[in-house]
Amino acid sequence: MKKLKQNAPAIPILIWISLLVGMPLMFVVVLSFLSRDSLGNIVFRFTLENYKRIFDPVYLRVFLNSFILAVLTGLITLLIGYPVAYFTTKLQPKKRSFVIMLIILPFWISSLLRTYGWIILLGKTGLINSLLMQLNIVKEPLNMMYRFGTTLVGMAYMLIPFMIIAVYNSVDKLDKSLVEASYDLGASRWKTFLNITLPLTIPGIAGGFTLVFIPSLGMFFVSDLLGGGRTIFLGNLINTLVTRGRNRPLAAAFSVGMIVLVLLVLFIYNRVAKDKGEGLF
Amino acid sequence: MNARAGRFRTFYLSLFFVALYVPVLSVILYSFNESSSTAHWAGFTLNWYRQLFNDRVIAEAFKISIQVAVLTSVLSAIIGTATAIIAMYVTKKMKKAINGIMLLPLLVPEVALGISLLIFFSALKLPFGHLTLVLSHSLFCVPYVYIMVQLRLNDIDFSILEAAKDLGAARWQIIRTIILPLVAPSILTASLLALAISLDDVIISTYMSGAASTTLPVHVFSMMRVGVTPKVNALCTLILVGTFFIVGLGQLINKKANKKEAF
Repeated sequence: MKKLKQNAPAIPILIWISLLVGMPLMFVVVLSFLSRDSLGNIVFRFTLENYKRIFDPVYLRVFLNSFILAVLTGLITLLIGYPVAYFTTKLQPKKRSFVIMLIILPFWISSLLRTYGWIILLGKTGLINSLLMQLNIVKEPLNMMYRFGTTLVGMAYMLIPFMIIAVYNSVDKLDKSLVEASYDLGASRWKTFLNITLPLTIPGIAGGFTLVFIPSLGMFFVSDLLGGGRTIFLGNLINTLVTRGRNRPLAAAFSVGMIVLVLLVLFIYNRVAKDKGEGLF
Repeated sequence: MNARAGRFRTFYLSLFFVALYVPVLSVILYSFNESSSTAHWAGFTLNWYRQLFNDRVIAEAFKISIQVAVLTSVLSAIIGTATAIIAMYVTKKMKKAINGIMLLPLLVPEVALGISLLIFFSALKLPFGHLTLVLSHSLFCVPYVYIMVQLRLNDIDFSILEAAKDLGAARWQIIRTIILPLVAPSILTASLLALAISLDDVIISTYMSGAASTTLPVHVFSMMRVGVTPKVNALCTLILVGTFFIVGLGQLINKKANKKEAF
C-alpha cells in the first residue's frame, strides 16, 4: 500500500506515454488486420490479406533490401568508426575533447543538409565529377547518383557518429591494466588488440550496431534523395503507401513488420550485452 | 607509443574528419556561387539569400516551424523535468520502468512511429496542424530532457535534501526551493536541445503536418526532391547557422552554471 502511494505521482507520466506511444502502436496492429473497400476507405472487416501480401516475393524483396542496407550500414560504420573511436581514446585529454566535439557536431547539422551535401558532391554536374573532368581523368561524368551504393554511403555518413560514440565509451571503460599485462607478457600490439581490446569492446560494438541499424530502416529521405527510388526500401514503401497509395492497412502491416525486425535486433543485442555484463539500455 | 603509430593515427583521424565535413562545407560554399550549377564556380554572390527572403512560402513554413519548436520545447521541458523529479521519489522498480518507457519513442523507427501517430490521430479526428506536430515532437524530445535533467539530479548532494527535510520542509517546498533552482540550467539547455530537434525533424512532421501547416524541413525536403538549386543551399546554410546559435547558447549556459557550482 505504501508502495502504491509512493508510485502515485508516476501515473500521469505512464498515462501520457501509453497514450502517445502505446495506443498508436496498438492502432497500427489493429489496422494491419483491416481491409479496404474499392475506394480505398478502411472497412472494419478482419483480414490476413495485408500480411499475406508482405510475403509476396516483390515485397519480401523490399524487406531484404532494407535488411541488407541496415546490416551493411552497420558494418561500414563499424569498419570506419572503430579506428576513429580507438584512436580518439589514445589522444591527450585536450585534443580528445576537441575530437569528440567534432564527432558529435554533425548531430546538430540538419540531416537533410547532410544528405544534400552528397548530391552536391556526387551529382552529374557535382563537385567530384567537375574536378575529375577538369583534371582530365574522365571524359564523361561518372554516374554516381541513384545507386544502391549512393544510399549506402549517405546512410553510413548519417549514422556513423552513433557507432563511434558507442565504441568510444566501450574502449574508454576498458581496464587498461589488462592491455599492459598483455604487453608485459610479450604480446605484440596487434595480438593485444585482437585478444584483449576487441573481445572486451564487443558490447560497445553491439550497441553501436543497434543504434545504427534501427534508424537506417526508416530514414526514407536518404534513399529517396540519393537512391532516387531505384531500389525500394521499407521506409520508402511505407511512406509511399501512406502519402500516395492511400493504402494505410498495408502500410500498417509493413510498420508492424519493421517493428518486429527492430525487436529482433534489440533481443539479440540484449543477449550479447548481458553475456558481457553490461548494456546500453 | 612510437612516432609512426602516432602519425598514422593523426592521418586517419584527419582523413575521417575531412570526409565528415566536406559534404557540409560544399553545401555552404555553393550557396554563394553566382552560377546555379555546381559544375563551376562563377563568383561570389548573395543573390540566393536575397531570393530566399522574398519567398513567401518559405517564410510561412519558417514561422510554423518556430511556433511548433517553441511550444514543443516548453511542453517537453515541463514533462521531462517533472518526470525526472518524480523518478527520484518512486520505488526502484518504478524508476526502472520509467527509464525503459522513456526510451520507447527513440527505439521505434521514426516512420513506424509517424504512421502510428497518423492513424491514431485520424481515428481521434484531431485536426492535423500545430497540435499534432507539437504532441508528436514532444514525444521524442521529452526523453532527452528527462535524461539531461536526471544527470544533473544525480549530481545533487543528497545531504542538502536530508537537511531540508530534517528542518521540516515539505516535499513540494524542497522541490521548489532546492531542486528546481539547482537543475534550472540543465532544464534550459535541454529545452534548447528540444528546440533544435523539433526544428530539424522531417520524418514525423511529414505525417503530422496539415495542408496549411507545412514545417520548414518538410518544405526543404520537397524542394530537394525537385532538384539542386543554390537557393536550397542558402536555406540549408541559414538553418545551420540558426541551429548552431541555439546549441551554442545552450552550451554557454551549461558552462556558466558548472563554473558557478561551489559545492
